[in-house]
Amino acid sequence: MSANPPNDHRTGRRAVLGGSAAVAAGLALTGMAGLTGCGSDGDGGDEPKGRKEGEKVTLTFWSWVPGIDKSVDLWNSRNPDVRIKLEKVSAVNGAQYAKMHASIKAGNPPDLGQIEYPVVPSFLLDNGLADLTKYGVRAQQGKFVGWQWQQSVFGEGVYAVPQASGPMGLFIRQDLFDRWEVEPPATWDDYAAAAKEIRRRDAWIETFSPTNGNRFAGLAWQAGASWFGTAGDAWTVSVDDEPTRKVADYWEALVRQKLVKTIPDRQNAWYKDIQTGAMTSWLGASWGDALLVGNAPRTAGKWRVVPMPQWKKGEAAYANWGGSTTAVFAHSRYPKDALAFAVWLNTDPESIKLLIEGGYGFPAAKGGYRTADLDVHKDFFGGQEYSSVFAEAGRGVDTSWKWGPAVDTLYQRLGDSFTEALAEGDSFRSVLKTVQRATVQDLKDKGLKVESG
Amino acid sequence: MLPFLALFGLCFLAPIVYAVYQSLLRVERTGPLGLGGETKEVWAGLSNYAHALQDDRFTAGFVRVLIFGAVQIPVMIALATALALLLDSASARWVGFFRTSFFLPYGVPGVIASILWGFLYVPGISPLVEMAHSVGWDVDFLDRSTVLWSIANIVTWQFAGYNMLVLIAQLKAVPEDLYEAAKIDGANAWQVARHIKLPLIRPALVLTTVFSIIGTLQLFAEPMVLRPLTNSIDSGYTPNLAAYNEAFTSNNQHIAAAEAVLLALVACVLSFGFLRLVGQRGGPEGGAGRASGRRGGAPRGGGEESGP
Repeated sequence: MSANPPNDHRTGRRAVLGGSAAVAAGLALTGMAGLTGCGSDGDGGDEPKGRKEGEKVTLTFWSWVPGIDKSVDLWNSRNPDVRIKLEKVSAVNGAQYAKMHASIKAGNPPDLGQIEYPVVPSFLLDNGLADLTKYGVRAQQGKFVGWQWQQSVFGEGVYAVPQASGPMGLFIRQDLFDRWEVEPPATWDDYAAAAKEIRRRDAWIETFSPTNGNRFAGLAWQAGASWFGTAGDAWTVSVDDEPTRKVADYWEALVRQKLVKTIPDRQNAWYKDIQTGAMTSWLGASWGDALLVGNAPRTAGKWRVVPMPQWKKGEAAYANWGGSTTAVFAHSRYPKDALAFAVWLNTDPESIKLLIEGGYGFPAAKGGYRTADLDVHKDFFGGQEYSSVFAEAGRGVDTSWKWGPAVDTLYQRLGDSFTEALAEGDSFRSVLKTVQRATVQDLKDKGLKVESG
Repeated sequence: MLPFLALFGLCFLAPIVYAVYQSLLRVERTGPLGLGGETKEVWAGLSNYAHALQDDRFTAGFVRVLIFGAVQIPVMIALATALALLLDSASARWVGFFRTSFFLPYGVPGVIASILWGFLYVPGISPLVEMAHSVGWDVDFLDRSTVLWSIANIVTWQFAGYNMLVLIAQLKAVPEDLYEAAKIDGANAWQVARHIKLPLIRPALVLTTVFSIIGTLQLFAEPMVLRPLTNSIDSGYTPNLAAYNEAFTSNNQHIAAAEAVLLALVACVLSFGFLRLVGQRGGPEGGAGRASGRRGGAPRGGGEESGP
């Protein structure tokens, strides 16, 4: 093996995987590996040897972040020995994770990958990610926002380098709110009142998108829920806890009174509503600015960002939606170099600047930028320095929130149950009950110890 | 023979054997929280199958595609047959053009077709929905009660032309003298179609129906693409979608393998069952030519019995 040029064998197989038939090819490869008995079972294999002094290597990086290629180019121009080869993957419907899981199973994942916070644990279950503490990641901790760092810490290990987050805020059509004399809601009670007022004008305040588990998690997070935890050796699941019930009851009431729509968000009909003012607000995340600018360009100047409504007046509890890490896969032969790139990518001021221009979210790094740098679309928001709202939200995120394994499945279950509840008229509380039970079972099915929290 | 067997084994048998093998395993994890420790695949017996069969979403998906097939397949085959007969009897001009146009949708990949129709279904954007609303028809193509038939429409649009082409190919193989004889006997165009053409293309009708049965069970791209647009399609809407989500969203390959094997079994049973059914009805009396008059509604699968 060592006689081979470092990457040839792996690149060849990866090229097959990179094709449009990635999934099929992945399965076929696994199939053959299983039959011929030469496959790796994803158990990590031998310890990586690392790079020799002066040796030139190429590391592969799967990502979908717009504009990240510029940062990669910058790194490559400065580090001739460790070249990063960026391969763009599709982020539609979780296709990128399907591809990553398949490649881990086939034994040939890339060296680095873009992985969102909620799905880090599901890659740990695959033993897919390298524990970066072995390569000195602890020394980098101070460079990152605390709670984002914690998202990738499990037990003694640190499994990814944080990149960006999505603190939540409320995007509103200020012009319509003004015309109809509706105050931007400071509390959830205000929000319900505003919804009623806007409904009187034949428009809608928002949609409760039943299939958007991500956002619902954010709402529960803000209310003080904590869906996953650990108790000794076991995972705990508490989707059906008091704070989440409060959130479910609240939105159920809005839905039943027909004060909010129930269409899925961020798809054609929703974009149309946003463009025409039929929907006047969006509870989104910091990265949502680019989404509105891109999809409703004619409404430029009419939008503002206000903080997420609070359960009690004067509180400052916020939540996060999205955000991701740069992770090093356990199969990487050069984890040290991969880690060095991941840290550079997410902390170097020039890299951050390029990433911000691409619209990657809210930096996980503490330094290297000013909040004002993030106001890329200031004109669209009528000159408002809107990023300060998200910065404030970022400071108010409950840092104890943890993601558990199989969050994608959890979202799917939430979506299935919510849509069913809407169709059948079941209560949202029954949704939580169903999802709680199913999630506990899902984790058991994965061979994990689990307790109902 | 050896090259064939090698390819057959590698491309056909191996994946099947491997899928069956995978469906009999499950994962066991050690280490704190199941992380970082060893991940072992251990024998699971039939527990993955039990798991799949106890999953309401999965079984509901089967019922759904069966209802879908019971309606969509006859409609599509009837449509394809009608088109084939019409084109076959049309005067020579433009036939090539129409044949190609009907076949064209088949050239559009299923995903693209679904995106295209998705635009025509989404309220607020679709000109179709707008038109329907303007004449007072309050239609929602993506509602729970309608979305299955909206998918049926996409599938029919895509495959009717394809099936038509298979039928035309067989029609072209009918010897001209049969038509001449019929003409001399004074048969009109309708009688020729009913008593000569339809019975003679029976094998093609059977073939296209079997393909459609298998295709229906494998329904995947359409619900997958329409899913984000609506609240009416859940993650186990069709058995194939359920297996996909099990494998790639939940990352439970073993359960997904069991679901895939179950799907293959049902497809086997249904298509062979269908072949048996039509084989028994047309078989003993002899060749397709002699069966004329027995089966008017050939595409229905269970055509009327009228005695010899």
